[in-house]
Amino acid sequence: MLTKKGKYGLKALVHLARMPTGQLAFVGDIATGNNIPKKFLDAILGELRNAGFVQSRKGKDGGYRLARPADDIKVGHVVRVLDGPLAPIPCASRTQYQRCEDCNEATCQVRHLMLEVRQAIAEVLDQRSLAEMRDIGLDDLAVGMKVQA
Amino acid sequence: MTARANAVNSIIIVGGGASGVVLAAHLLKSPNPDLRVTLIEKRPHFGQGIAYSTLLSAHVLNVSAAGMSAYADDPGNFWRWLLERGLAKADQAPVYAPRSVYARYLKELLDDLETRERESGRLRLIREESLSISPTASGVEVALANGTSVVAHMAVLATGHDEQPAQGHAVRMGSEADTALDPDASVMVLGTGLSMVDAFLALEQRGHKGDITAVSRRGLLPSPHRKGNPIKLDVADIPLGTQLSYFVGWFRELIRENQKAGIDWRDVVDGLRPFNQKIWQNWPASAKRRFVEHTKAWWDIHRHRMAPEVYARVTEAVQSGRIRLVAGRVTRIAQGETFSVDVQSRHSQLVETFDVARIYDCSGIVRDISTSSNSVVRSLVDRGLGRPDPMRIGLDVSANCEIIASDGTVSRKILAVGPLTRGTFFEIDAIPDIRVQCARLSRQLLG
Repeated sequence: MLTKKGKYGLKALVHLARMPTGQLAFVGDIATGNNIPKKFLDAILGELRNAGFVQSRKGKDGGYRLARPADDIKVGHVVRVLDGPLAPIPCASRTQYQRCEDCNEATCQVRHLMLEVRQAIAEVLDQRSLAEMRDIGLDDLAVGMKVQA
Repeated sequence: MTARANAVNSIIIVGGGASGVVLAAHLLKSPNPDLRVTLIEKRPHFGQGIAYSTLLSAHVLNVSAAGMSAYADDPGNFWRWLLERGLAKADQAPVYAPRSVYARYLKELLDDLETRERESGRLRLIREESLSISPTASGVEVALANGTSVVAHMAVLATGHDEQPAQGHAVRMGSEADTALDPDASVMVLGTGLSMVDAFLALEQRGHKGDITAVSRRGLLPSPHRKGNPIKLDVADIPLGTQLSYFVGWFRELIRENQKAGIDWRDVVDGLRPFNQKIWQNWPASAKRRFVEHTKAWWDIHRHRMAPEVYARVTEAVQSGRIRLVAGRVTRIAQGETFSVDVQSRHSQLVETFDVARIYDCSGIVRDISTSSNSVVRSLVDRGLGRPDPMRIGLDVSANCEIIASDGTVSRKILAVGPLTRGTFFEIDAIPDIRVQCARLSRQLLG
């Protein structure tokens, strides 16, 4: 399940993917531009830096930028770092498995199907790069405008 | 032109060692009556290569027999072959068969294919050295050392590990330079991995009694296999595309968690195996570089293990002082009647001098491909038709095994399988990985 943390992280990265190559973005600008609480954003960017997706510079002119081209970072890479194993429900994970109190995982058909669903989630998210996600928005916008016209 | 006119019917496989034979076997599963597979090998025997040419019974496979089938879709093929010949008993698993037995398995497999395809003419074996591959208007031409050449629609390089001569004063175990030795002489081995273990076993077999100093940067000995059950993981569980330190942190934590639940670390390392290529391919270049420089030695001793019986012999020799493992680097070699070798310790930085009668080069099989001893590979690189991968551990190939020219062009006619492709596929030295690659390539080429 994509948490708020995952969603904010992706929005922040799309923001960075729109910047000219190498240019730093201020945390304050990312936060206001995407409606993200700044303190939360600081924590999220810190985790993304530890995983090697963004670089930061401290100081008055400090800020964040992508550590590598937006084509090279897949959406699935980012979601796993922020939200943990891709899983539609908490019991459908092998490493961060959380037992449901009200059922038996060996015989639970729901869990069984959800394990399959997570493969499909991984397939989609690991194929799409940040650059593609950034550009999907523009395509959709264009389609929407055509429909209106 | 229709798609049909582009169909690939004739394929030359350059290199008839294990990966070449495995690829031929997968290609010939195709029912296409027009298929022509030409397998070229310079050694007198097909199916052996460097890996399986040893005759020593102590040189056993580093993977248990249950994992060594030549066929990706029939994992029990080798195990059944052993049972049918009475070379193993059904209740005896895991079995680590001698490599010479595996060579026999591949030879019989190829003999069977030859018999089966005699009428169809779909398989042709050539015992000759290949010199070069050149693209032509309609396909490729492979020049042979006897002055003739063979043509086909495409060629697949399956030349395996490089056979570069040993460096400096060192010699390769079993080479011509490896002459008779005083049985009590001290020797040095450069490397402490599986090749060093092979060298130790060969020395033992010859009745050598002298002590052995094995030197590598970290002085680490590979771990033994233990019977177990790999843990189940999905790709959705594994962090991809992160920096190396993040991944290593995750993996160490995963091992710790599992150990707390009483699960052996081997089962965690082996549970990751189906995803190793994916993990490698998603890493940024910086993570790959760091892995090769810093983490690979640690990974290798956990991932590439040896048979428990072999490990018992080696550790006994280490405990008795027969083998001394040294973490350090050779800083000077002086040749007199014997060799005087200075080794600087990795930990204390102190230099210790060893007096040895021979130095064996067991320092690993990964070399810069542009200085390859294989003339086909070298000529591709020299002419810009191929290039080393960014890590310089193999030949640069696409995810479809097509070689990539120095200008970045992806070849549609020259491909590669096996250890040559490790820059793209990472762990592609062992049969369990090579057979999967060959099965996929066969589907890609022949549908």
